[in-house]
Amino acid sequence: MRGAGSLDETWRRALYAFAAAVLLFALGAVVRPGFVRPDSILAVLTVAVFVGLVAAGQTFVILIGGIDLSVPWVLNAAAILLATSSGGSDARAFSALLLTLGMGAAVGAVNGLGIAFLGVPAVVMTLAMNGIMEGLTLGLSGGMTCASCASYAPPAIQALAHGVFLFLPTALWLWLAVIAIVSFILGATVFGRATYAIGTNLRASELAGLRVRATIIGLYALSGLAAALAGIMLVGFGGQASLGMGEPFLFQSIAAVVIGGASILGGRGHYLGSVAGAICLVALISVLLAMNMAEYGRSIIYGVIILVLLLLYGRESRES
Amino acid sequence: MPPRAARRSLLAHAIARNIGLVLVIFLLVFSIFLYGLIYGLTEGRLPGGFELTSTVNNTMPLVLAAMAQTLVVLTRGLDLSVGGVVDLANALGAISLGATPARMALASAFILLAGAGLGLVNGILVAYGRLQPILVTLATLSIYQGLAIRILPQPGGAVPEGYTALLTNPSVPAALLYVVLLGLFWTAFRRSQAGIAIIAIGNDEGAAAANGINPLRAKLLAYTLSGFFAAAAGLFLVATATAGDATTGNGYTLTSIVAVVLGGVSLFGGRGSAIGAMLGAFVTTMIVNILFFAHIDPLYQSFYEGAFLVIAVVLAEGLGRFVRKRR
Amino acid sequence: MSAAPSLEAITASKAYGGVQALDNASFSALPGEVHALVGENGAGKSTLIKVLGGRVRPDSGTIRIDGAKVVHGGPNDAHLLGCWTVFQELTLLPWMSVAENLLLRREPRNALGLTSPRRLVAAAGRVLEKFGITEIDPRALIEDLPLAARQVIEIVRALSHEPRILLLDEPTSALMERETAWLFAQIRRLRATGTTIVFTSHRWHEVETIADRITVFRGGRDVGSFTTLAEEEAVTLMTGQRVETFYPPLPAAPSARADAMLSVADLAGGRLAGVSFTLHQGEILGVGGLAGHGHRELFLMLFGAERPHAGRILLRGREVRLRSPRGAIRNGIALVPEDRKTEGLLLPLSVRDNLTLAVLDRLSRFGVIGRAAERAQAARLMARLAVRAPNAAIPVGTLSGGNQQKVLLGRWLLADCPILLFYDVTRGVDVATKHEIYELMMELARSGSAILFYSSDALELAHLAHRVLVLREGRIAAELPALDLTAEQIVAAAMRERLAA
Ligand SMILES: Nc1ncnc2c1ncn2[C@@H]1O[C@H](COP(=O)(O)OP(=O)(O)OP(=O)(O)O)[C@@H](O)[C@H]1O
Ligand SMILES: [Mg+2]
Repeated sequence: MRGAGSLDETWRRALYAFAAAVLLFALGAVVRPGFVRPDSILAVLTVAVFVGLVAAGQTFVILIGGIDLSVPWVLNAAAILLATSSGGSDARAFSALLLTLGMGAAVGAVNGLGIAFLGVPAVVMTLAMNGIMEGLTLGLSGGMTCASCASYAPPAIQALAHGVFLFLPTALWLWLAVIAIVSFILGATVFGRATYAIGTNLRASELAGLRVRATIIGLYALSGLAAALAGIMLVGFGGQASLGMGEPFLFQSIAAVVIGGASILGGRGHYLGSVAGAICLVALISVLLAMNMAEYGRSIIYGVIILVLLLLYGRESRES
Repeated sequence: MPPRAARRSLLAHAIARNIGLVLVIFLLVFSIFLYGLIYGLTEGRLPGGFELTSTVNNTMPLVLAAMAQTLVVLTRGLDLSVGGVVDLANALGAISLGATPARMALASAFILLAGAGLGLVNGILVAYGRLQPILVTLATLSIYQGLAIRILPQPGGAVPEGYTALLTNPSVPAALLYVVLLGLFWTAFRRSQAGIAIIAIGNDEGAAAANGINPLRAKLLAYTLSGFFAAAAGLFLVATATAGDATTGNGYTLTSIVAVVLGGVSLFGGRGSAIGAMLGAFVTTMIVNILFFAHIDPLYQSFYEGAFLVIAVVLAEGLGRFVRKRR
Repeated sequence: MSAAPSLEAITASKAYGGVQALDNASFSALPGEVHALVGENGAGKSTLIKVLGGRVRPDSGTIRIDGAKVVHGGPNDAHLLGCWTVFQELTLLPWMSVAENLLLRREPRNALGLTSPRRLVAAAGRVLEKFGITEIDPRALIEDLPLAARQVIEIVRALSHEPRILLLDEPTSALMERETAWLFAQIRRLRATGTTIVFTSHRWHEVETIADRITVFRGGRDVGSFTTLAEEEAVTLMTGQRVETFYPPLPAAPSARADAMLSVADLAGGRLAGVSFTLHQGEILGVGGLAGHGHRELFLMLFGAERPHAGRILLRGREVRLRSPRGAIRNGIALVPEDRKTEGLLLPLSVRDNLTLAVLDRLSRFGVIGRAAERAQAARLMARLAVRAPNAAIPVGTLSGGNQQKVLLGRWLLADCPILLFYDVTRGVDVATKHEIYELMMELARSGSAILFYSSDALELAHLAHRVLVLREGRIAAELPALDLTAEQIVAAAMRERLAA
């Protein structure tokens, strides 16, 4: 049983994650003086948008003690679908956008259906879905050899990913909007309340008359939607889609959520924490890149720092 | 002699208690049947000794990884670092296995110990650090993979032929012996004090502690053994190849979880058998084999694997419900 | 007093976060004594027992066993001194068998140190037999057993160690009379051999029956030990105020022509083998019988949480199909489930969140919760039920058991459900709160609600129900009218078959 004030404790952990991000920026400044100039901070934050978007979906499902391992290929499929269906033209950008987001939500909903109705464990369902989406993406695009596969993202989408509006990159504005929406959903709606309740105790939530299955399906659909949105932004950012572009986001999104103070067992966490976690991770990677470290070194230090952060404030309280 | 009804209920009990095992055997038989059918249709003959040998050899690393994963899953954890330890063992094997038997034995022993040590690190972080297992092993996965790449930056090194012949003999299904040994090991372990403690803390850690079981010690043991078996998986992996590669083991993190789930081990801990997980590993291989001989477009391979996994789990779930109801 | 105490706690303190569970509490028990520990929910009884049993380390204070100071490093240390505990929250392992649980860590082993399932089952069977338990299969999984059977296993496990000191924390809360009688026989046998027995219960008649001495706890402190104590006095000591302890008068039984709120015809499924009855407006219909004879299934089916195999459910004469708890609630049915901690409340969430969970739809517009309305409703209910909590935002898990149960009842009062299914609502609830719940039930019945009321305490049923249905082997074995109903009659009806056989 969690003791008194566990909710405040969650906020405290989110705060620590922000502090850790600041610390990492300071470390970056030591390593490389230019690291904390406003433009390079904004650059780091812009990169954090992609992890942050995926982490929004991951937050939703981790709050009910679930997990979404289908993120990499939903993201990848979304990126390719956007490029191919729009054919790089602004005229078809909007319909392509809707199609892509719809695809993400639908795939997520299928995950939810399998978990809520067929009783497949979330790890298995979403892992299998990742394979299914990988196979479909590779197969339908002929291994990225299709005629439209080389299409660029429509200029409007590229502008969204690169543009600046009121001194801030538009990608950051988009993220701020997502932060507001997700926090509102979780904090003020019946759906959000049900999410925390289910994550705390599924059986008791059902016996209290909550719509347990519908909520689970909704949460996984939102996760799929978030991954698709990240894919769209990523293809807008890079111009073209490529195979395997989603892979790094799986473990990063999970790490961001838990560094942000959510419990992997469900029932506890806030999206703002995940946001801090995402910034933390991206800042860390940027610092390591700035240090010109070899890949293996980055990998090791990355793991060590996550462990240190967890040991500093991520420990479970002792029983009894 | 117990009365008839009592004997039947004995069997019913055995089935109900081992429902996961029963289902994975069903899945295995079914997939072998399907494999034989498709093989027969495409090749015009039935699969024989060569197919058996190569299947067993190819599955051995996964069998061991599944054993590693089971031990941790039973404590209600998840070991994502399995792939990292496999990589590390693979890399160490590639650079250290010499030509002489003594050298091979020494290097193997060292690598297994190193694996156990890495597992122990996970265990200490989980038990004393009071961190969620999935997070600890997520971080150590990154560390272990980094170390593996440091040790073997490019695929290479040499694997002596004698070593391959010993572990994964390409001409006779000798590796089946290891499978049997692992099964025996598990049967004994499940009945030992240590094995019971691991399952007990997976049931309910607080209750186990109230019964005088030391949860910290049980966790340390589970993770250490997990590291040991993951390293063994790495050695078998390097034995099937001619050279080492510090990245081929990555996939074993997720496939070992798949094998464990197919084998009926509960991801919520405390329920299941490593024998089931090992059979689950074979089911996984059979699925790949079936897809290969069905000549499906390799681009679609992941699609079929994913679909097959869901169908198998749903089928098992449904059958399990049916049997429980009939009981 | 001549004999030296065999078990003592001297000025023991233990705090959980800000809660002082034990506050310089002292306690001592003599060899060959049955010592009852009584107090309200949250008085610190369980904490004291955990401290004595080595499960929890006190922040300060001393424990003495046979006069010698001991420092328990864990339960094992207590076990070595012959001190065994039956904890209030059972410590059985759900996915292991009865045999594995009974003989945990002392399984029969061969030369290699390995146990065999067959020998394990045989040995466990002998243990069960020794204590006169015949109807529990040692191969059964704990998870498949009803709560009462689990409680019995937990007790047998402690007994089988032949304890010199036996700590029993609410061992009877899930037991029916017959099992309680069995337990008391065991306690008397041990007492005769000089064993020290500490026992807690919220059922005063049990304390009166078995205790040689009674220590009252209040707010983490001992407030007195007595060899005889009247219930009135005890309750005054426990609560610090005078509380009525007799059962409130039952409102007049509804006439036979009163509206039928809920009718059930040939309902079957699980252990339930076909029951029919009608619940009228303003009626409290008791359900009694030994646990595991279909009660749980009956309540879950009427709440849409389990599907019946056969039979019909009628609400005000109209047949309904209850597919989910949500559907049942929409039809005006509420359930207070067996275990408030795992099926009822969301312990880490706030009192307010728990209260309003079932009426969120009503408190929201377009899916957005109306904060002001929610606060107002929660505050109203907390005042109406006199929930003792510092504020509405505190996690419900930090409240005492009685107040938790009130929050759960409050949830259904908010939902305005006219048909209330109460499954053992007073289990583990202290005397004062029990009385408040009784009053509430009467008030609800008077205002026209219909209550289906299962209790493991036959005395409660005899006093609080208009009629009592006794379930045996999934069928209604008897329907007893309230007039002059005694607990003995209910128990007899529950066991008639067995006695005849
Ligand atoms: N593990 C814990 N974490 C936090 N608070 C606890 C814990 N255990 C007990 N408490 C608190 O300590 C106080 C004393 O609890 P305890 O369980 O000893 O009471 P009790 O007298 O046994 O009550 P009951 O009759 O309900 O069993 C209560 O306020 C309770 O909420
Ligand atoms: Mg208690």
